[in-house]
Amino acid sequence: MYIIARNIFRFAVVILFQVLVMDNVMISGYMIPYIYLLFILLMPFETPRWIQLLSGFALGLTMDLFTGTAGMHTAATVLVAFVRPYLLDLLAPRDGYEPETFPRIHYYGFLWFLKYTLLIVLIHHLALFYLEVFQLKVFLSTLFRVILSSILSTSTIVLSQYFVFRK
Amino acid sequence: MRTLLRFFQKYSNMLLFLLLEIIAIAIIMQSSSYQRSRLIGLNRQVTGYIYSKVDGAREYFSLKEVNEQLAEENLDLRNRLDLISSQLDSATVVSEMMGAHRYYFVQSRIVHNSIYKQYNYLTLNKGKKQGVFRDMGVISDQGLVGIILESSANFATVIPVINRDFRLSAKIKSNNYAGILQWDGLSPQFAILTEIPFHVELTEGDTILTSGFSSIFPEGIKVGRIESFSLEKGNFYDIRVELFTDFQRLYHVNVIRNYRQEEQLNLEKSNR
Repeated sequence: MYIIARNIFRFAVVILFQVLVMDNVMISGYMIPYIYLLFILLMPFETPRWIQLLSGFALGLTMDLFTGTAGMHTAATVLVAFVRPYLLDLLAPRDGYEPETFPRIHYYGFLWFLKYTLLIVLIHHLALFYLEVFQLKVFLSTLFRVILSSILSTSTIVLSQYFVFRK
Repeated sequence: MRTLLRFFQKYSNMLLFLLLEIIAIAIIMQSSSYQRSRLIGLNRQVTGYIYSKVDGAREYFSLKEVNEQLAEENLDLRNRLDLISSQLDSATVVSEMMGAHRYYFVQSRIVHNSIYKQYNYLTLNKGKKQGVFRDMGVISDQGLVGIILESSANFATVIPVINRDFRLSAKIKSNNYAGILQWDGLSPQFAILTEIPFHVELTEGDTILTSGFSSIFPEGIKVGRIESFSLEKGNFYDIRVELFTDFQRLYHVNVIRNYRQEEQLNLEKSNR
């Protein structure tokens, strides 16, 4: 129960922070940090997969409502929610994830969290940015935006772990 | 039957994933640009309130009054100028001689803007109460800004030139050829002027103005200057226009009220 309540709370906080603060942070012409992915990143390991998918869907849909990008965030977040369990398997430490732990720096260290975040963010940004432009003419400039934005999102998310979402 | 059930059981997550993705893609395909802009328009009415509260920090305390005074003075001069010029060329047009001028400017401030997305929008702190309605033009001291998309009691959203849905008729100052001004989503400093036929002679640095063919903008509002042009698509030029308006620093804007807009639109509609 506690965990569910905490995740709903996190959902709201992450969305509000994204829409009210992060969407106004724009560094040079290409980058917006998408910190709202934290919600997906921090879901407990043992969350049933259908719940992960549905919460990814809800998260994307809410973002779409706020930014007016019908369906684009949804497609990207559902994809990320689907890929996440496979990615976690891929990145699992030798003796697996211990029970009662969460996917956080606190438990699995900086390097693990950085790799995990970077991969999720990259997949998400690739899907999102290409759906947004929806044409191959600007393939390279979009790729450039994906990479720069990914770096920014990843560092913002990792940094946030040291400030806000410490526990 | 059992194998089918087992199949569903085994691949239930995969199927759910596919279902959700199909829904998402369907939403993308379904939504027209109009619905999209309606959605964001609605949204901005809600967030506009919050933004306007947060916005206080943007105006330096000491600069605030000076700024506002200057903008107001500017506005007043503009209104008088329009009055005078309408009287000047009204000598031949009877309806203009009634003394009423055609355009009136509503001074406004930007409380929220986005620049680096494909579909950018601005929010203004003036709405229906101050006479700002859908389809009115928005300009700054530097030049063209955009078109009002939606307005609530105290706020309005603008589709700026730097939105991929933006379309406006604009002309080249030196030879009066008119084309369609739109944005390619690449840089907030440049827009594209299309549909200028290949036989037109162009020079870099030529000024682009609004054509006045729509009822939204008066003729001759400054848009930008020709930065470069190419003939890639056969018969029409792709002209890269360096915009005069610096969207990054945009703060005070004026909304254009065209008193004759309705009349013009009704007439045009009846001809169709």
